[in-house]
Amino acid sequence: MPPIAQYVFNGVVTGGILALPAVAFSLLWRLLRFPNFAVSTYLTVGAYVALVLNHGVRASIELAWLGALVVTGALALLVDRIAFRPMRDRRPFSLAIASIGVAFVLENVVRFVWGNDFRSYDVPVTRGMSVAGLRIGRDQLLILGVAVVLMALAQAFLLRTRLGIAMRATADNPRLAAVKGVPTERVIALATLGGGGLAGGAGVFLGLDASIDPLMGGGLIISVFAAAILGGIGSAPGALAGALIVGIMEEVGMLVVPPTYKTAIGFTIILAVLLVRPTGLAGARS
Amino acid sequence: MIAYLTAIATLVGVRALLTLGLNVQWGLTGLVNLGAVAFFAVGAYTSALLAVGGAPLVFAWPAAVGLATAAGAGLAMVALRLREDYLAIVTLGFGEVLRLFLLNEAWLTRGANGVTAIPRPLHARFAGHYDLFYLALVLVVVALVYAALERLRRSPFGRVLRAIREDEIVAAVAGKPVFRFKVQAFALGAGIAGLAGILFAHYLAYVEPNMFLPQESLFVWLALILGGSGNNRGALLGSLVLLGLLEGSRFAKDVIPFLTGVRLAAAQQILVGVVLVVLMIRRPEGLLPEQPGSD
Amino acid sequence: MTTMTRRELLKASGTAGLVLSAPAILSAQSKEPIPIGTLCPLTGAGGSYGPDMQRSVVAVVERINKAGGINARPIQLFHEDDQTNAEAGVRAARKLIDVNKVVAIVSTWASAVTLAVKPLCVEARVFVIGVSGADSVTQGDHKGYIARTQPNTNLQGRMYAKFAVSKKEWKRVAYMALQTPYAQSFGDAFTGVLKAAGVTITDSLIYEDKKPSYRSEVTRVLATNPDLIMLEGYTPDSVVMAKDIYRAAYKGAVLAPSFAINAKFIEGVGAEVAEGIWNMDRAPLFDSPAYKEFSAAVPRGDQSPYAPQAWDQMTLVALALAAAKGEASGTVIKDNLRTVSNPPGTVVYSFADGARLLGEGKKINYEGASGSCDFDQIGDILSAPFSVQQVRKGKSELVMIINP
Repeated sequence: MPPIAQYVFNGVVTGGILALPAVAFSLLWRLLRFPNFAVSTYLTVGAYVALVLNHGVRASIELAWLGALVVTGALALLVDRIAFRPMRDRRPFSLAIASIGVAFVLENVVRFVWGNDFRSYDVPVTRGMSVAGLRIGRDQLLILGVAVVLMALAQAFLLRTRLGIAMRATADNPRLAAVKGVPTERVIALATLGGGGLAGGAGVFLGLDASIDPLMGGGLIISVFAAAILGGIGSAPGALAGALIVGIMEEVGMLVVPPTYKTAIGFTIILAVLLVRPTGLAGARS
Repeated sequence: MIAYLTAIATLVGVRALLTLGLNVQWGLTGLVNLGAVAFFAVGAYTSALLAVGGAPLVFAWPAAVGLATAAGAGLAMVALRLREDYLAIVTLGFGEVLRLFLLNEAWLTRGANGVTAIPRPLHARFAGHYDLFYLALVLVVVALVYAALERLRRSPFGRVLRAIREDEIVAAVAGKPVFRFKVQAFALGAGIAGLAGILFAHYLAYVEPNMFLPQESLFVWLALILGGSGNNRGALLGSLVLLGLLEGSRFAKDVIPFLTGVRLAAAQQILVGVVLVVLMIRRPEGLLPEQPGSD
Repeated sequence: MTTMTRRELLKASGTAGLVLSAPAILSAQSKEPIPIGTLCPLTGAGGSYGPDMQRSVVAVVERINKAGGINARPIQLFHEDDQTNAEAGVRAARKLIDVNKVVAIVSTWASAVTLAVKPLCVEARVFVIGVSGADSVTQGDHKGYIARTQPNTNLQGRMYAKFAVSKKEWKRVAYMALQTPYAQSFGDAFTGVLKAAGVTITDSLIYEDKKPSYRSEVTRVLATNPDLIMLEGYTPDSVVMAKDIYRAAYKGAVLAPSFAINAKFIEGVGAEVAEGIWNMDRAPLFDSPAYKEFSAAVPRGDQSPYAPQAWDQMTLVALALAAAKGEASGTVIKDNLRTVSNPPGTVVYSFADGARLLGEGKKINYEGASGSCDFDQIGDILSAPFSVQQVRKGKSELVMIINP
């Protein structure tokens, strides 16, 4: 038996990739009050944007990653304007259904343009290093580092900047915030831009770590939901912690359940959290 | 052409049942369920496995409906206490985990191989025009379920369900055991989905886990929203229009030669997604809106 | 439905096919086209394999029609997407059978789809030929209307094992497989032969599809210290798996099916990760004229594992129809399949040569791009030689041929 530490480390890497979309998903859910199923598809879109830059205009992967961040953010904003803005005052479930429709459209636009074949970036795969008996991949360490820095930036933005504070105020009580003069639509636009960007960036990580195909983002959806619910809807550090826990449980869980039940682990976490707290971990405040 | 239309009509009938089941849950009672496909699968697999194991259909079919209903009641008791956005995710996850179960527990479900050679009822007696017989069977079942649901909608029970949909708190204040009614409505909808599963399994004579992907639940929603939730006629119309849309694009492509197969398939799905989003924004009441006070 | 309206319908709904077969129409204007359907996965899990299969079929039909068709009748193709989904496959097959009146459906992929359309095709007497591997595909009473060019999983498992046993340095073997209808039966056949030869099976792991990483699966398997990992998956998951195996600094050998370790795979993981990976499949006879014609006619077709098989399927159906001289039906195809594919007979490598010899009243034996294409009674490919290849400097190179 390998040391359990290797499984835990594997889980931390998985959690690092989950963290970005989980934070985006969690903040948008809190702010707009519906689970946006399209977030997972933003990963796919981000991965393909970077692919175009990396293959098409031979941009370095770092530059392509930045491009994916910007373009996916802008796309998320566009989607919000077209699909979600006209429905702001509807019940959460109607918006959730609309977001499933959006996810369906985006996934198939990707398929329409690039086909079903998987793709890869022009970046060589490297052998992992051995540190204290642990096998640690360099790319994975880098991905983890960037994810943590981005998380820290997001949290600093929410806590320290005027717009960030306005965003939290709107999330807590949109009417009160609007009365107090917070420009609600501008706050939403910014959050959508940022959330879309984070998810798009994560898509590039996923493409580097695994491979790129139209279904790549959709496969993460239950894990992302689990991370957000576990961390408490609306909390960025919570979503990060949730992502790490879900990642670790999915990997360590292999010691207990067959690998073919990996997806069920995320669902079990969701169910367990909600059974203990039927309104979710952050539900008490809403 | 007749045989093709018969097949499509049979599948429209199966989808109509699924949509009617969801209409009890969402349309009538306002309960979120993104896992309709799970109860469809329970019905299909239970009946298929029992029938292949040699059980007579008069036993297998009620058992399948019963198990689907029980699964619905079980999930409802656990999940209906949740806020609707959480409920959406839990029901979606339930469908996925059930599919994993069907895929993995080969000792019970035959795993990824699926269940083959499912007996077709009265096949020998109606040899030659069996598909027409089966279509008639499906239509009779749909008509019976439709009639029963229409009665139910107008009954005191149905009025309570609609009261819960409009305002749960008011219904509770009026002394109704809201939770119990919700569980019953959810279980009933699940049972109807199970019935759809039975007809589906014995029509195809084959079931396998990947027939029950989450996107099938999405198609049920699309049919319901298309037709108009809250009224059973809308559920029927929605199923018809949906399959018309999917099948119609099949013929469109035979005359558009410049699109490759992948692009065409993608374009078809884009169309489905766009219709869903536009409907949600522009016409959430569907093609046939529920008549206020139509009881 | 009268002949007139049917012809009108074919015209109205089949522009694509008619464009392709235009030259043949000119040479054989009075002849009604023979409708044939393809049912490849263009979307869903099989979406990365279907399009190349369809291209292959189209290329064969273009050649046949340019050369004057089958007994002067052009082939008209109708394409449907099975969405890698059994129910969608049934609807599509119904449309092909009842609206387009196809006599054969070629190039089905997923076992689930082939199993689902099997009963209705047998009932409608439509011939089906595909690449589905599950044992149940050719089992049961299908009256000969089902055949496949992919060897059944039991034969594959035993052939892979035979090669693994021949490498004496592989004493500890681990089996990793994507969850498919044949993962279990392939594994049973493979590990059974190895165990009987005294090789230790260190781990047997079936993994879920569409997972972003397989790090922990790899961790578990490597902890058992295998000399060889038998990796039975498709290209997309094999890419993720191979990257994770490489990152975990595994130094042993990997054996996989060639349909997974194809040019797309090597491009996807890079030459370094792919270096040294052994792969096996039914031996396509690379030097054979059929393979050369195929790779010239289907650009990049050699990168697709099933494209050569789709090429052969369409050619076999056309030859079986040509042998019938006149009538075109599914029954004619199933009755003549073995006449044109199995020995005895003059070996031919293309439809053109085969049709000419048939016209002269000679017996033929088609040898295709994917191999020799001889069928047994239930429609399975007869035990065929397998090729063993190894990736060397970014290219799979033929190492040896193994006979059953």
